[in-house]
Amino acid sequence: MNENEHDTTLNLKCKLGMKSILPIFRCLNSLERNIEKCKIFTRSDKCKVVIQFFYRHGIKRTHNICFEESQPLQVIFDKNVCTNTLMIQPRLLADAIVLFTSSQEEVTLAVTPLNFCLKSSNEESMDLSNAVYSEMFVGSDDFDFFQIGMNTEITFCFKELKGILTFSEVTHAPISIYFDFPGKPLALSIDDMLVEANFILATLADEPSRASSPQSLCLSQKRKRSDLIKKKAGKNVTGQTLECISRKAAPRRIYPKETLTNISALENCGSPGMKRANGDISEVSESSVSNTEEVPGSRCLRKFSCMFFGAVSSDQQEHFNHPFDSLARASDSEEDMNNGRFSLS
Amino acid sequence: MKFRGKIVDGACLNHFTRISNMIAKLAKTCTLRISPDKLNFILCDKLANGGVSMWCELEQENFFSEFQMEGFSAENNEIYLELTSENLSRALKTAQNARALKIKLTNKHFPCLTVSVELFSMSSSTRIATHDIPIKVIPRKLWKDLQEPMVPDPDVSIYLPVLKTMKSVVEKMKNISSHLVIEANRDGELNLKIETELVCVTTHFKDLGNPPLASESTSQDRNPEHMAEVHIDIRKLLQFLAGQQVNPTKALCNIVTNKMVHFHLLHEDVSLQYFIPALS
Repeated sequence: MNENEHDTTLNLKCKLGMKSILPIFRCLNSLERNIEKCKIFTRSDKCKVVIQFFYRHGIKRTHNICFEESQPLQVIFDKNVCTNTLMIQPRLLADAIVLFTSSQEEVTLAVTPLNFCLKSSNEESMDLSNAVYSEMFVGSDDFDFFQIGMNTEITFCFKELKGILTFSEVTHAPISIYFDFPGKPLALSIDDMLVEANFILATLADEPSRASSPQSLCLSQKRKRSDLIKKKAGKNVTGQTLECISRKAAPRRIYPKETLTNISALENCGSPGMKRANGDISEVSESSVSNTEEVPGSRCLRKFSCMFFGAVSSDQQEHFNHPFDSLARASDSEEDMNNGRFSLS
Repeated sequence: MKFRGKIVDGACLNHFTRISNMIAKLAKTCTLRISPDKLNFILCDKLANGGVSMWCELEQENFFSEFQMEGFSAENNEIYLELTSENLSRALKTAQNARALKIKLTNKHFPCLTVSVELFSMSSSTRIATHDIPIKVIPRKLWKDLQEPMVPDPDVSIYLPVLKTMKSVVEKMKNISSHLVIEANRDGELNLKIETELVCVTTHFKDLGNPPLASESTSQDRNPEHMAEVHIDIRKLLQFLAGQQVNPTKALCNIVTNKMVHFHLLHEDVSLQYFIPALS
């Protein structure tokens, strides 16, 4: 836990650069062999996180990494009320994923009570006449748990899924998938002994007429080709609610480089309501929102954003029971944004 | 037009996948010709390809346990399809440890070659992956451009050295010059030469051996040490060499002085011919 001079424990929410952390923990083998103890603590007076490795023979290696305070975002989403729940070893799902060509942005998951199918997103393959359309069925027997309450087909960002599976293969726990109808977010959850991670992904909604549950605060959007995203460039979102933005335009268009705010990044349908934890006790220690910043000339803007909730310390047991409780409505006024110093990666 | 084939043997499947990978490296878009006993991957010598042409042939019964096709018509019982080679090789990559592979011609929204892979699965349920590869059916009137290229009588015919060695030599040479001279004689010697204002580099390969010549008449006149040479674009040679991931069973090079070089490889039972024209 974090301690300051007065020996009280603080809940510190901060951000550390991945580029700083990765090299420190790079050589896993040599770390395991040579290091007896690792100590991580903060020095809030200097805004640094200190990582110390204690080797044999009294050798000590210290790394000081600057951190930045951050107000993590939280998601209004209760995975336990989802009608569809699956649990599978990440390795099996990763094997299925390998079949899809790497150029795909989105993937569609279609389930019935009997089977599970991953397939190329229809929208995408129709645009590019050269694209291969792939389908992969995984039998329900391969799953540790397979409960489908409602036949559904949801489409979400493929890249995120690949990243999440790579991450989950490190833990030896199965990955749980919670979802409902298109438009409602999809949750991927790993619960190892040491780590609990929840990934919330937005999914593509169908028709605007589809009713979206008020609790989840997701917005249905039309499947219309438009370049409304252009309007967002460089502007903060004003207004109460998340704006209803249509899906991004056809892949062939070239977009100028834009830095989308976090809120605008979530505007694609199915994004859960957002709230920043203003000092509330939350179950997450760190979060980051990946947005859809693109370089000029890229064919397809990434259509979804996802939320990544980091590992939880075992001291915060009480939060496990009510993971997404302390939430309020989305706040997206300019003032809030600046305070929270949303990061745009 | 109909086509369906099934491969169940693991070794055949791997071999077919390797061939498809090689084709993907040699030609971005190619023509697949399906006939009752053969499959051909064809690249015709259009300007777009830089004059390079390729003809790859395999006997279908060496691969497929089931093979049915119905061509354009009874007299022209063939199917010519144009496809992006990489799409096929990527789809086949998923079939590495498959129980069975099925390929068939379908029409879902647009004409496709559907590759269906039946994978082994941990549990009893089999896992099936399907890939619909979009294709273009080539009309009958264009078939004449896609026939097997005529191989002119070579001036010299020689067996190639180890392709990996050749490839690493040519790779380094590419940094110095964009033109390369291939020359060979009937004494088993092959040279790769590059020449710039500042430097000349020649790599000599010896004791390669020459296959017996078909026509003996012209050969008597010539000195066996006389080199037949051709100037070619080095990148085309490199692309050809880079496509050979596996060492071929047999590799032959035919040089027609100042006209072209013709490579003829045999990968087990699959024959590959690659023609690189001389630079004008």
